[in-house]
Amino acid sequence: MRRASRGWIIVILIALLLSVIFLTPTFLGDMLPGWWGKVFPQRGLRLGLDLRGGIYLLLGVRAENAVEQELSNMKELMNEELAKDKVLPKSFQNSGKTLTISFFSKSDLEKTRKLESDYKEIADINEKDLSLSFTLKDQYIKELQKRAIDQVKETIENRIDEFGVVEPSIQKAGTDRLLIQVPGATESDRQRIINIIKRAAVLEFKIVKDSGPTQETLLAKYNVTTPDELLSQGFRLHPGNPKDVQSENEKFFITESDAQVTGQYLSDARLIFDEYGRPAVGFGFRGEGASKFGKLTGDNIGQRLAIVLDGTIKSAPVIQERISSQGRITGTFTLDEAKDLALVLRSGALPVPVDVEQEQTVGPSLGRDSIEKGKLSMIVGGVAVVLFMMIFYRLQGVIANIALGLNMLFIMGFLSSFGVTLTLPGIAGLVLTMGMAMDGNIITFERIKEELRVGKSPLAAIDAGYERSLWTVLDSNITTLLTALILFWFGTGPIKGFAVTLSVGIIFTIFSNVIVARVIADLIYGGKKVEALSI
Amino acid sequence: MDLIKPGTHIDFVGKMKMAVFISWGLILIGIISLIYHKGPNWGVEFVGGTEIHVKFAKDIKSDDIRSILSSAGYSAESVQQLGLPKDNEYLVRFSPKVVAFEKIPDFQGILEQTFEGVVGKGGANMLRIDYIGPKVGKELIEKAIISIILGWVVILLYLMVRFKFEFALGAVIAIIHDILITLGTISITDKEFTLTIVAALLTVIGYSVNDTIVIFDRIRENLKKVAKIGFKQLVNDSVNQILSRTIITGISVFLVLFALFLLGGSVIHDFAFTLIVGVVVGTYSSIFIASAFVIYWKYKRGVLT
Repeated sequence: MRRASRGWIIVILIALLLSVIFLTPTFLGDMLPGWWGKVFPQRGLRLGLDLRGGIYLLLGVRAENAVEQELSNMKELMNEELAKDKVLPKSFQNSGKTLTISFFSKSDLEKTRKLESDYKEIADINEKDLSLSFTLKDQYIKELQKRAIDQVKETIENRIDEFGVVEPSIQKAGTDRLLIQVPGATESDRQRIINIIKRAAVLEFKIVKDSGPTQETLLAKYNVTTPDELLSQGFRLHPGNPKDVQSENEKFFITESDAQVTGQYLSDARLIFDEYGRPAVGFGFRGEGASKFGKLTGDNIGQRLAIVLDGTIKSAPVIQERISSQGRITGTFTLDEAKDLALVLRSGALPVPVDVEQEQTVGPSLGRDSIEKGKLSMIVGGVAVVLFMMIFYRLQGVIANIALGLNMLFIMGFLSSFGVTLTLPGIAGLVLTMGMAMDGNIITFERIKEELRVGKSPLAAIDAGYERSLWTVLDSNITTLLTALILFWFGTGPIKGFAVTLSVGIIFTIFSNVIVARVIADLIYGGKKVEALSI
Repeated sequence: MDLIKPGTHIDFVGKMKMAVFISWGLILIGIISLIYHKGPNWGVEFVGGTEIHVKFAKDIKSDDIRSILSSAGYSAESVQQLGLPKDNEYLVRFSPKVVAFEKIPDFQGILEQTFEGVVGKGGANMLRIDYIGPKVGKELIEKAIISIILGWVVILLYLMVRFKFEFALGAVIAIIHDILITLGTISITDKEFTLTIVAALLTVIGYSVNDTIVIFDRIRENLKKVAKIGFKQLVNDSVNQILSRTIITGISVFLVLFALFLLGGSVIHDFAFTLIVGVVVGTYSSIFIASAFVIYWKYKRGVLT
């Protein structure tokens, strides 16, 4: 019988060392010495929502805002339609769920009547004196609100997904709430995730009309006293970003009320660095957005362009030339802030604002008691199998147990090093892997026994046993690996979690059964005379 | 140590006909149960349900909450702790079968009474009750089914290369057999179909394939030897030759599964239950379905008389 291959021993020892290094943070956690993080990875095995819990957020979605938006959309569309017929309405007014258009003459009103058919499905239409009023139907309002909540949900899903969190849980609760659970998350991640989730991310590009040190001085220039009155003149007051204020004169800005270009036209947003090496957000436009942005900048060269994010002026550079496809948002960002801003801009604005109603840590969704019991039962089951193998196969059983233990260590080490999040389906994958690894050893041992029975010497029996069982072990593991890879490709969420641990597990199991167990056997028996086998 | 005396000969092949009848019977019962129950009993994760946020005045464990609820006839699908353990706040979820949508408003009062009956007046404070939407869509199941079927195609192809077509087909038929019977058992016992069960079913598939291949492998090896015996006899010998491996592996797997089943608590319990059923059926089908199919195939082709 051959001696143990020195090459494989080295490979096994290196794998063992790496696994221990990657797993140490998982077991020591906060007890890690300070120097550890400078040399080795600090992040251990991550556990999913079901096993460890995470952050719990109850979001109130202000779905009622959807009505207001719908009315202002209607207003814009009607304005366009009426302009085609050369009708100039006297005024538009929206209050609650009603949009009222007043006209200068009866004939203008008559011309508008054809619009009625477009809207009678969704609104009750009333005529009074020289005005038409469109009151949204309750059924339609419900639908609008539902759609808004669905959109918020989808947007937030995209954002959390892009942030790189595995298997969050996002559910609608009641009529106008979203219940979000995000697994794990450190204290600093936590704040970032909350900011990413609740940020409206409404980006607007508008031309600056004026700026000043206080609200009052600016409003006085337009002979009004409140921002609302200013709005009726077609202008809007925005605060400057306090962090980015460069001079006293830029604490408040006045711009046109409605933006011609908004974030919905963005084709891309990403982290960039400005000429001073500070983090900033670069954005791009394509198609319709590019032509609109080109027109806005081209028509206003020499003026200042306000980049308005969620109602606050982020920056207001002077337009030097017509730009259509590229731009950037600068300001005092930290690296994470710029990254997160790019992320939310990419995923689009929330159609309606949200409020965080409740924010708490949350325990594992399987329940803390269940997890404790699950752990205990796994340990009991594991110990029982280890004992059974030792009693039944004696020394060979010990070899199998060592190989199995190493296998488990390698798999966990690998999963930690790649930042895989472990969930219950993932554990199911591990249980299957361990079962197959155990089976592989049993197949080999039974084979060795058979070889002994036909009269082979102990060492020849070991050789033959490993050799003849090789393809049985390989065939069953390769088949399982192939199906695991398919589940990984097509599966989502928990199915994927199962597939990941199973594929990783099977690869290490093949290694453990075919190489590790054999190397240990070679170490024990190699080059020796053996009279009888402990099996 | 030997569990099975070498040279043991049990006539497995002779019992295959009966086994196929039993399998058909079990599959039919399962399908009838699935039809009777109108499909699987989908859990809250798939169809949504009711969620309450409750705060207790005194320390209470999630398992206590579960048992209070189930003894009142409202078994909870999940009990999740909110905030720190000392807060004694919990999120409890119920499937629509326990609380119908239109009953949610009344349910708050009922629950408060149920809890107060055990923890005393004012001991349980309902902070919120909501209808919650599903966590994962049914498309997860659709995708899972598609990938499982694709998995069969891959198994078929691989085993065709490594063995022969009839073996490959036999293995896939055995998997389908195992899933159907396991699903049927879940339906008959009226267990909730949760993501955990999905994971268990995937595990059963893996185990079933593994077990089948081990037997096929031995049949293939024996086929290579100069055959003086008929194919039926050869299959029977092969099954007998690896019987001790089948039993020892079975024992090891059961040691773990029984520990999970008995000590694992309510959530792990269903998981372990599904696995136990699947492993038993999977082991049985390797012999009585997969191998039987290969014999049947050869018989139909006239290769076997």
